[in-house]
Amino acid sequence: MKEDFINQVKQLLPDVDYCSFRFVNQFVNTISVTRNIVEPVTVSEDDGIMVSIINQGGIGYGSSSDLTMDGIKSAINEAIEWSKFTKNKTTFLPDYKRIKQVQGNYFTKEETNWMQVSTKDKIDYLRNLNKILKSKSTISNWGASLRYKKIETLFIDTNDSHFRQRISFLLPQVVVSAAHKKEIQTRTYGGHAHARQVGYDFLDTINLNQKAAELSEESIQLAKSPNCPDKNMKTLIAPDQMILQLHESIGHPLELDRILGDERNYAGSSFVTLDMFGEYQYGSKCLNVTFNPTLESQLATYNYDDDGTEASKEYLIKDGLLVRPIGGHISGQRTGLDYVACSRASNWNRPPIDRMGNINIEPGNYSEKDMISSIDDGILLETNNSWSIDDKRNKFQFSCEKGTLIQNGELKGIVKNPSYRGVTENFWHNLTMIGNKDSQKILGTSNCGKGEPNQTMFVGHSTPMCLFDNIEVFGGL
Amino acid sequence: MKEFFESISKKILHEIHDDEVMIINFDAEVSNFVRLNHSKIRQAGNVKQLDLSLSLIHKGKIHTSSLRLSGNIDRDTEILMKSLNYLRREMPELSTDPYLLYSKKKQSSFTSNCNSKINNQEILQNVLDYVSNEELVGIYSSGNIYRGFANSFGQFNWHESTSFNFDWSLYNNNDKAIKQNYAGTEWDYSRFKKILDEGKLKLSVLDNKEIKLKPGLQRVYLSPSALNEIIDMMSWGGFSYKANKIGSSPLHLMTKGDKQLNEVVTITEDLSSGIAPNFHEDGFIKPEKIELIRSGQFNTSLISPRSALEYSVDHNAAEYYESPVSIEIKPGNIPDDKITEYLKDGIYISNLWYLNFSDKNNARVTGLTRFGCFEVKDGEFIGPINTMRFDETIYNILGDNLFGLTNNQDMLMDCSTYEGRSSYSSTLPGAIVDEFKMTL
Repeated sequence: MKEDFINQVKQLLPDVDYCSFRFVNQFVNTISVTRNIVEPVTVSEDDGIMVSIINQGGIGYGSSSDLTMDGIKSAINEAIEWSKFTKNKTTFLPDYKRIKQVQGNYFTKEETNWMQVSTKDKIDYLRNLNKILKSKSTISNWGASLRYKKIETLFIDTNDSHFRQRISFLLPQVVVSAAHKKEIQTRTYGGHAHARQVGYDFLDTINLNQKAAELSEESIQLAKSPNCPDKNMKTLIAPDQMILQLHESIGHPLELDRILGDERNYAGSSFVTLDMFGEYQYGSKCLNVTFNPTLESQLATYNYDDDGTEASKEYLIKDGLLVRPIGGHISGQRTGLDYVACSRASNWNRPPIDRMGNINIEPGNYSEKDMISSIDDGILLETNNSWSIDDKRNKFQFSCEKGTLIQNGELKGIVKNPSYRGVTENFWHNLTMIGNKDSQKILGTSNCGKGEPNQTMFVGHSTPMCLFDNIEVFGGL
Repeated sequence: MKEFFESISKKILHEIHDDEVMIINFDAEVSNFVRLNHSKIRQAGNVKQLDLSLSLIHKGKIHTSSLRLSGNIDRDTEILMKSLNYLRREMPELSTDPYLLYSKKKQSSFTSNCNSKINNQEILQNVLDYVSNEELVGIYSSGNIYRGFANSFGQFNWHESTSFNFDWSLYNNNDKAIKQNYAGTEWDYSRFKKILDEGKLKLSVLDNKEIKLKPGLQRVYLSPSALNEIIDMMSWGGFSYKANKIGSSPLHLMTKGDKQLNEVVTITEDLSSGIAPNFHEDGFIKPEKIELIRSGQFNTSLISPRSALEYSVDHNAAEYYESPVSIEIKPGNIPDDKITEYLKDGIYISNLWYLNFSDKNNARVTGLTRFGCFEVKDGEFIGPINTMRFDETIYNILGDNLFGLTNNQDMLMDCSTYEGRSSYSSTLPGAIVDEFKMTL
């Protein structure tokens, strides 16, 4: 967005108590090769503005994809009209005098930019992965894709705030299914977990070719494997399942707008109540969870949230004790609790709400070998493929693509359809060992749904392997 | 908006070379969203968005570019021309697409339901006044949605509608709730009050002491809304021709003839209500009805043009993901006014939540009870139950353990708004199911 345009639109900031303009431009390019066939390549580009107004006891927003001066004026008028109507009718009116001025920027580091690599080279890369995936005749489905998304935000307001951010992320995905008799088993890379703020060069560091070969072989083995046994046992959870466990049973219940009831008609509320912060032992003493927007290359790393709050790393759970919610500046005002920079919107056409950013489990002291050798009878679970949790984020059930039985400190055979269930309030107290930095993975999911109107958000999770005692594990039919 | 799309599509199509094909899809809305909590307004605003996608086809290759537009013809034409040039430049990078199939037959159409006037502020003032003593949380959405199609064969399709969708929950002091919805094209205040009053009445039963269920088998009534959640899971690849071929469908054993549902179950993709547009993104016109499951047996899948070429079958103009957009289940014989009498002893489930597969091969689904779930004894409501997790196969729920379906259907308008306001709907009866497995 050019300076002369910005100078022009600054003149449009209306004479109200508070007004912000949030311009967002999104670019998405998706390339997929499925069963050796290149699917239609798609490119999308999106521009728009969100005008937010607080004025004379009312609030309102107007948003539009019309970025002509007339279009912006029209969005301002819509916001003003809604702020007039909502006067004295709001659940909470933010104190605009407490909104701080911010100025700065943030840009994702991409060593090799997505646009520097030709579409043909990307297609060739995916075609080669397809060849590797279709290793045997029993492979019934296979595919690989690359999705690149770039989000540029420009924020200005009546406090003379002015910041720009350019966040771009890459999501490589691989899927392979094998059939044995009428049993189909699937292994994936990336489905829910491997989105990161990286350049195209990142693909050189993860050796997807080798991963594809391993996944193809594992899907064949899984299709012939026995079902996971039904029993309570020690459960070692790999990072690509831990991120869902962390997301659903720590991330969501700590969102302050849920605790305040905003989400009760849709995403749900929380078993956590306002009086529990600083008092409630969420899990065992080895559990440390942070809101960390500063970790380079993680999906939700940024300097400012969409309400203009400056971002910093903060503990949510310290030594197992619940210390801080995931609530933005406005939720902080509503409750008097400490806030973090988590007021985020999926695009220019949605207002910011409390969202996870990067929610991470801090690493412990144990190697993967230490943890496996400590288990007499247990299971290692890898790669989430199903998740479900109640509206207060307590009773959960997760399924994984692959289970590996552990007996007498050693990995034994693999089992299919492993699932486990539990209750959040008890589960984290069963956490006995946390892996060290070697087992920690920087992961993230680009499709967290919440809010009315609905919003899909990208959130990061970094976690090591974690070991839990006495978990109810079970298999398929 | 129609005039805008006509003008801009003409300008683009005018630029198309003789050896090129152009397909244009248009999707726009002007919406108002008002979010409520504690019976007051939490957020309120307006969204105006216009999306247009250009699919350029040349020598068996296709490339698609989607853009947000302003609605200003001159500005947007310039953007679209740049995009067209970009697609042409990139074309040599692509391979020919063996599954590329688009309609060459000119089948233009026009449907409009934009005649009603919705006065948002008047409606909301009425709502706020009527619920001021209630604990209400929810979302009110309204406005116009527009879908358009044009191609270089001269086809032009247009679908527009004005509607509102108010989706809310009423809470009591024990944190128990009833979920309700009122959607339509003309706001009728007395109709809204009637729905809300029914909700308040049900809420009074939730004031009774919570009954803590233990895991085990239960006879349950699934309301149309609860059954819709089960059907949503079936629709997650279950009716897709491709998913059934590659084995990722939860119903693949049914298509192979190894499993079946109860003979009272007939499921149809039914577009006759006209809520969703009947034209496909590649220009085909969709059939009004496709019977997916007939008397418990798998009848046919939704088949996209791409699948048709991949598997050498005829398509039925299903979209790429081959999921239903307007599903209908034939009603049964249980009188709608005697549900609790027929249920006798069991659990009345108004709403299910957060479903997912626990064993997809076997169509096994897990999820939770949520709003308005009661224990019924001897045909009478006793009190609310605690949140329970279930884990059960679709073959049991709609097969061996299905006691029956109710004789009335509810039309449920999808209130989801992820990229824009949805035009999906479903028309379903309720169901009484035996031995429904609660696990946690």
